[in-house]
Order: sequence, then structure tokens, then C-alpha cells
Amino acid sequence: MSASEEGLASLARPFVRMPRAVAIYVGAIVVLALVLVTGVSVGRYAVDPVRILDIVGQSLADPFRDLAEVDERIVMLVRLPRVLLVALSGAALAVSGAALQGVFRNPLVSPQVLGISQGAAFGGAMAILFGIWGLPLLAIVFLSGLSALALVGFIARINGRSEIVTVILSGMIVGAMFSALVSLAQFLADPNGPLPAIVYWLMGSFASTTWERLFVAAPGLAVGMILLWALRFRLNVLSLDEAEARSLGARPDVERWLVFALVAFIVGSQVAVSGIVGWIGLVIPHAARLMVGHDHRTLLPASMLLGAAYLVAVDTLARTMTAAEIPLGILTALVGAPVFAVLLRNHYRDRTAK
Amino acid sequence: MTPTLARGLGVAALLLGTVVPAFSQDITFTDQEGREVSLAGPAERIVTIPMPMASSVIAIDGGTDHLAGMNPVSKAAITEGILGKIFPESRDINDSVTAANFVPNVEELAAVNPDLVIQWGGRGGDLVDPITNAGMTAMLILYGTEERTRGYMGMTAEALGKPERFAEHEVWRDAVMSEIEAKTKDIPEGERPKVLHFSRILNGMSAAGSGNNYNDWYINLVGGKNAAADLEGSKPVNAEQVAAWDPDIITLNNFEPGLTVQAVYDDPVLSLTSAAKNHRVYRLPLGGYRWDPPNQESPLTWMWLANIVHPELFDFDLRAEMKSAYKTLYAYELSEADIDSILWMDMQGDAANYDAFQAD
Amino acid sequence: MIALENATVRFGSRAVLESLSVAVPIGRSLAILGPNGRGKTTALKAMLGFQPLDTGSRVAPKIVGYVPQSASLNQRYSVRDVVVMGRAAHLGLFGQPGPEDFDAASRALEHVGIAAFADWMFDRLSGGERQLVLLARALATGSEVIVLDEPAAALDLRNQERLLRLLTALRDERNRAIAFTTHDPNHAFAADDALLMMPGAETLCGPVDAVLTSDNLERLYGVEMRHTTITGPDGRTRNAILPAFAGKEAA
Repeated sequence: MSASEEGLASLARPFVRMPRAVAIYVGAIVVLALVLVTGVSVGRYAVDPVRILDIVGQSLADPFRDLAEVDERIVMLVRLPRVLLVALSGAALAVSGAALQGVFRNPLVSPQVLGISQGAAFGGAMAILFGIWGLPLLAIVFLSGLSALALVGFIARINGRSEIVTVILSGMIVGAMFSALVSLAQFLADPNGPLPAIVYWLMGSFASTTWERLFVAAPGLAVGMILLWALRFRLNVLSLDEAEARSLGARPDVERWLVFALVAFIVGSQVAVSGIVGWIGLVIPHAARLMVGHDHRTLLPASMLLGAAYLVAVDTLARTMTAAEIPLGILTALVGAPVFAVLLRNHYRDRTAK
Repeated sequence: MTPTLARGLGVAALLLGTVVPAFSQDITFTDQEGREVSLAGPAERIVTIPMPMASSVIAIDGGTDHLAGMNPVSKAAITEGILGKIFPESRDINDSVTAANFVPNVEELAAVNPDLVIQWGGRGGDLVDPITNAGMTAMLILYGTEERTRGYMGMTAEALGKPERFAEHEVWRDAVMSEIEAKTKDIPEGERPKVLHFSRILNGMSAAGSGNNYNDWYINLVGGKNAAADLEGSKPVNAEQVAAWDPDIITLNNFEPGLTVQAVYDDPVLSLTSAAKNHRVYRLPLGGYRWDPPNQESPLTWMWLANIVHPELFDFDLRAEMKSAYKTLYAYELSEADIDSILWMDMQGDAANYDAFQAD
Repeated sequence: MIALENATVRFGSRAVLESLSVAVPIGRSLAILGPNGRGKTTALKAMLGFQPLDTGSRVAPKIVGYVPQSASLNQRYSVRDVVVMGRAAHLGLFGQPGPEDFDAASRALEHVGIAAFADWMFDRLSGGERQLVLLARALATGSEVIVLDEPAAALDLRNQERLLRLLTALRDERNRAIAFTTHDPNHAFAADDALLMMPGAETLCGPVDAVLTSDNLERLYGVEMRHTTITGPDGRTRNAILPAFAGKEAA
């Protein structure tokens, strides 16, 4: 090595990927497992840990057995599907955020930026207002989330190519518009009828989770996550600037929309069963990036694990801290906003230091 | 001016002050937000924005002649319940004067031209200012306690120029309340059954907590104890929390269309509560108004709930009481079928202690 | 090969490229010269396919090895990972790089002479090192065409030397078409041909020695140019072109 290269050696620390990443993954999986176990074990109805093992054990041995006792039903029919759905939602929302941040080349975006959450929320509000529940509600929420995205695409596509800043601004416009429409739905609703459901639902809550809701949302969440994970290398390429990405054989305009559609699929599934839960897509990828770096091949799995663990922890707090259920969106905002402020400061401090 | 003349003028002024109002018949009182309400005479065109007030005005007034507008949710209770049958013309009363969330539609309101608008107080200027800015007279009422309820019903009677209607009504309320209280005030906590009222149960549960809550008040009145006393007001809860409280009796609201007791019996966790296991799940009756919030039929609510909560202490002949009350309130003869319908006999006729309410 | 045929690009009423025809066959290297604003970047972008043409057409392979002037900001990857991104075209939308892709990346790094840096973090390298990494990435694409945007512009002398030596070496391998823009005429000696972006959308194209005359260069830059020879410590001489204001008046 030349003299200058040796001089550089002190600055450029070698990035030995394998052992460190393995350690982080193992750590994240352990944390997630702990959080899941805790989630199933705690609640407003006290159930002995030994009894919980007994209940879960019996159900593993005979999944379709009749659950006669109230503690069995609480563990298997109330807590377990909820913990699983929350974990899946947390993972999926975090991955969506990470993917969007890669595609936008900006770490300060999230599904809400595209107006997808607001669009889905509006569909849900209208459905509730007209007394539509169940599977038709889910279908309406998917479609309205996707239509928000289509609207963003329509507004942003000025001369055949979508500039990122234009997309962000269009997302804000569409998001604001759908939020206003949700407020309109609130205004039209009977305050003692569907309205509390709407209000509660917009602040996010997994309180009504059943196995049925889990099975309805899970495919969208899982498929969305799997496909985004499959795009992990491509996301690296898409996070280069337009010219570089195109010269490497990618078609950013088109491929970006594939990512957007997958995100809409995920967010629509999640909003349909639990209302708007914010800040996960924004904050978790940042934390994950601090731990494993920008490469989406490690960032996406890390985001999934962290997102799942974090949301389960917060949801467990939401349903156990007080007798009343605290809407989840409030807690994620209360925790997420200050954390994000700190991350933001660090981000800009690093950038100016360079 | 000499002292004598001054005194003379003073006396004259005093006399005039007492005599003149009597001649001009104007009505003045203070509403529950301490505002002075002045009417030139008995109100002839009243608009009621709080939901229970439409039926209260009809009851106090003895008819729909002076009710010019109401809340759409009041209208729903009228069309769903018996009041629409007793006063069919009530279905034609304007219900566009306000949104369901109590924010008035000023243009619609002005078109109706009320001389008095009854509105919630204590909930901010958005609900009140549009009315007063348009030059209309507002009477503000406060929700929550029996005392306040009597207060605003009294004011309404005064505004209608029929204070005696409320005087009689108050006597009835007092009588029923004292009768119940006499037997329940000394019941120790350990002997009070836990009662849980679901203000919402379909697609998300909310329970009525303590703290300025009328449901909580009458649960305690009839010798029960509020299972959800930990909550402040009406708050969302999850099934686990309800299982932890394990209420002895569950009551359901009248605000969710199509709600039946099956909502509890079909739920895997709620169906294992003591209340469900003992068939003590009841939807509150819907009479001239919903029996959940405070209204002119509240004493019937108390009697109904007392029979359910302490059947060993209370044995009100509810059907007879209802017939008598409806005669007084609405000059209406309830049929047996009417009563069955009000008490949801089809749905919960086989609930525990409900046979006391069956027709003989 | 990479070529433009009769390409015209107008920005508003101003024609930046006017019926430009230029071709770089495999085995040749082209330097594009001109002051700022004269259209050399536009010509490059047109070749790359990033600049829509008002008239004319472009001939280029599907994948062109592009070395931008500087890397996008967000490159917090290892050097090897940056280079392996060049394999994206071979992998398709859902493909993941395999052993052969990493081999191609390693070979590209060796080709450029920075194999030792494979495991370093990209954003910790100096500008010069980074430029070489980007060149390796372009080589890793396997494309027969390499296009560089002002590769030496931001480099210090040491790294300029390194880069020019590489460009010359790549040219001499005679198995690629190479095109690059530069505002230093001396860099053109690393190429076979030069395209001069003259005032008024006029262009001059031809072998370097023929085209890089003082007159042409004076017209190009609006500054008097001098040809000179430089003799090094080893006794070998090099021809160079300098602006007339270079150096200092001899006493």
C-alpha cells in the first residue's frame, strides 16, 4: 500500500459484515421472542405463567380443542391473535418505511407521506358510516388506500416522469385531502353510533383483534413483506440517484411504483384491521440503520424484527397500563416523535460534519 | 327632591317593578351556565339540540305543538320507539337544525325561527356562539347528575310557561328515588352486585365509568356497584378487562342499531362472565326516549334496574308504573304489546328476573 | 459501439446540439472537450440516453457503464457492495447477487487496482478512491461501453494521474468503446479521438493529434493556447498543451 493508503487505513474502518450482523440478528430475535412471550403472559386479567404454559401446551398438542375456561379463551382467543397481528403489523410497517426511504433517497418519509394511510382510513370511515363491516370493509379500505396512491401518481406525473419532490408534495396534498374527508365523515356521523368507532379507529387500536381478523390481514402483510424483501438488492440500486440507477439497468419510475403498490397493500391491510398506527415506518428503519447500516439486504430483516418487537411492546403497554385501552396511535406518536427528533438531530449533525 | 317625594317615588317604582312584569308575562331565569335567559312569553317554537330534550319537551308540554326542531338522533329514537306512535306528527319535525355532534346549522335554525334553543353547556363556544350570534335565545344545560337533570327539566317547564308540569314530575321522581334509596343506601359494598354498562359494544367496546356519568349514578342508586368504576367517564375497554371485572349484571346501550344481547352471549370471553352465565344481560328499554341517559322516564329506569339488581328487595309492578307514567306524561294508554316492545321482551324475555316484567 | 446520429437538442430557442453525429466504435476512445455550458454534458447525457433528443437518434447497447462525476450521497455500503451493484442488469428485478457476481466485482476491483479496499466503507474513502470504485462498478456491468462524466474534474494531481493512466490502459485493451468529457485538453491524450464543442453549436471531431491544434483550441476556449514539450527526469519527453497565461513571464 502507498503512504496515502496507509494514512487512510486509520479513517476507513473495515466493515466486516458477517459476525456483527449475526450478533445483531440473534439479539433482535431474542428480544422479539421475549416481547412476544411477555405479550401473551400479561394483561388486565391475571393468568399464572405456569397456567399459560399449560394452556399453550395443550393447544399445541390439540389445536382445535374446545376452550372452556375464561383464562384459556383470554390467552388463546384474545391475547395470542392480538400479539401475532401486532408483531406482523409492526414488521410490515417498518419494512414499508425502510423501502420507501430507500426509494425516495430520503430517510424522512413514511407511508403517511404518500397519503396511503389517510386514504385507507377514509375508506374505512365511509364504510363504518354506512354500517359496512367485515370483509367488505377490508376490501373498501384496500381500494381506497390504492386510490390515494393512484391519485398521487396522477398529480405527480407531470411530464411522464415522476420527480421525487413532486411525489412527496402530491402525497401531502392527497393525505390532507383524505384526512379532511375523514373529518367530514366524522361530522356526518351520529356521535353515539358509528362515530366512536371512527374516532377510535383513526387513533389506531388492536383491541378488536380476533383470529379471523388476523387471517384476513395476514396475507396482505406477509405477501407485501416477502415481496419487499425479495426486492432488497434492487432497493439498493433504486436508492442511487436516477441517472446512476438507470445506467445500471433499473427503471426507477416504474420500479418505484411497484414498491409503492406493495406498501399500499401492507398499509391497507393494517389500517383495515386496526386503524392508523403511525411512526413505525418512520422511526424503526432509522434505528435499524444505526445498527446494521444502509444495505437493504440487512436493513429490511433488521427493520422487521425491530418493528415487530417495538409494536408488541407498545401495544402491550396500551392494553395493560390502565383499565381503559389507550389508543395505540397515541402511544406510538408519544414515543416516536421525541425519538425521531433525536434521530433527526443526529442525522443532520452527521451530514454537516462530513 | 324632598325625602318624602323620593320615598314615594321609590315605593311607586317598587310597585311598578312587581306589577308590570306580571302584566307583561315575560319569563326570565338563569340557565345552568349562569346565563340569564329571557323570553317575552312562553316559548312557542323550541329547538332541542341535546338528544334527550326533544322527548322531554314533548312530555312536559304534553304534545308536539311547541317543538320546532330537534337533533337527528332524537328523531331516530322517536321513529324507532313508541313516541313516534303516540305522536305521529313528531316524525315531521325538522331534524336538520343540528348535526348529530351538536354543532348547530345556523341557516336551517334561522329558517325554523325558534324563540328558544336548548343546547349543551360546558362544551365550548362552537356549540353556543352560532346560536347567540344569530340573535337567537339559548338555554344551556349540563349533563351528568340527577340534580342537573331536574334543574334543566324545571327550566324547560318554566320556558314553556308550565312550571306546574315539572312540579308534579319532580314529586314523582323524588318519591321513586326516596323509596329506592331507603332500601339501598345502607347496603354494604360486599352485597352490591357488580353492574357493567356497555356504552358501545359492537366493533369495539366502551364501558360507562364513574365520574359525571348518569349510568353510574343510577347503578349506585339501585344498590349495585359500577364494575367499571376505575374508568373516568365512558372509555374504551378490552375483553380481558371485562373478564377481570367479571360483572354480575351487564346492561347494553340503545345507541347501536340492531344491538341484541347475543353480542354478549356470542362473544367467547364475555359469555363466560358471571353475568352471561347467569343470564343477567339486558338491553336498556327504549320508551319515549332511550332509558340510558337522563330523561322524563328515568324513574321507570330506576325501578326496572332495581328489580333486576335486587329482586329480593324490590318488586315494582313495572307494567302498571309504565302505564301510569305514560298517561301522565303523554296522555297515552300503553297496550301490553307496547310494553313488551319497549322492554325488548322478544330479545330478553327469558333473562333472569325478567319474568317480573311479563304480562300476567 | 455508442453513437449519436443527427442529434439535435434545444433548450428553449437555443440549440445546444445541432445535428450532431458522432460515433465511438468498440476499441476506440473519445474525449469530449469544451468550456462549461457549451453542451459537453448534454452530449454525454444524450449518449447515455438521459437527454431526450429533439431530432436524431442514439445507438447504444442496453447497458452502458456510467461513471458519474461524483457518487450519490447515500452510499454507506462497503466498496465491494457498491461495485456489485453494477451487476444489477444481469440479475433482474428480484435477483440477488451470487458468487459469480461477487467474482465479477472482485475482478473489476483488481482491474482498477483497488482490490485492497474491497472491505472498506465507501463513504470513508477519498474522492479519488471513490471515483475508482465507481469505475470498477461500471466495469462490473460487463458493458462494452464506458462513459465517464468529467472523471478528473474534482481530483487532486495524484489521483488525476492514477485515473488518466487507467483510462489510457483501458483504451489500450482495445475491447471497449470509451467516451469521457473533460475541460482539460491534456486529458484528451488518453483518448484516440476528440470532439470539440465549438461556439454556435459547431463541432469538430477527429483524431486527437489532428484536431487539438492551437487555433482550434483557441476558438474552443477563447484563450490563447500553446503547445509545449515537457522533459521528465527519466529523459523522456511529453507533448502538452497549456493556456498562454500559464506559468510566469521569463525575465
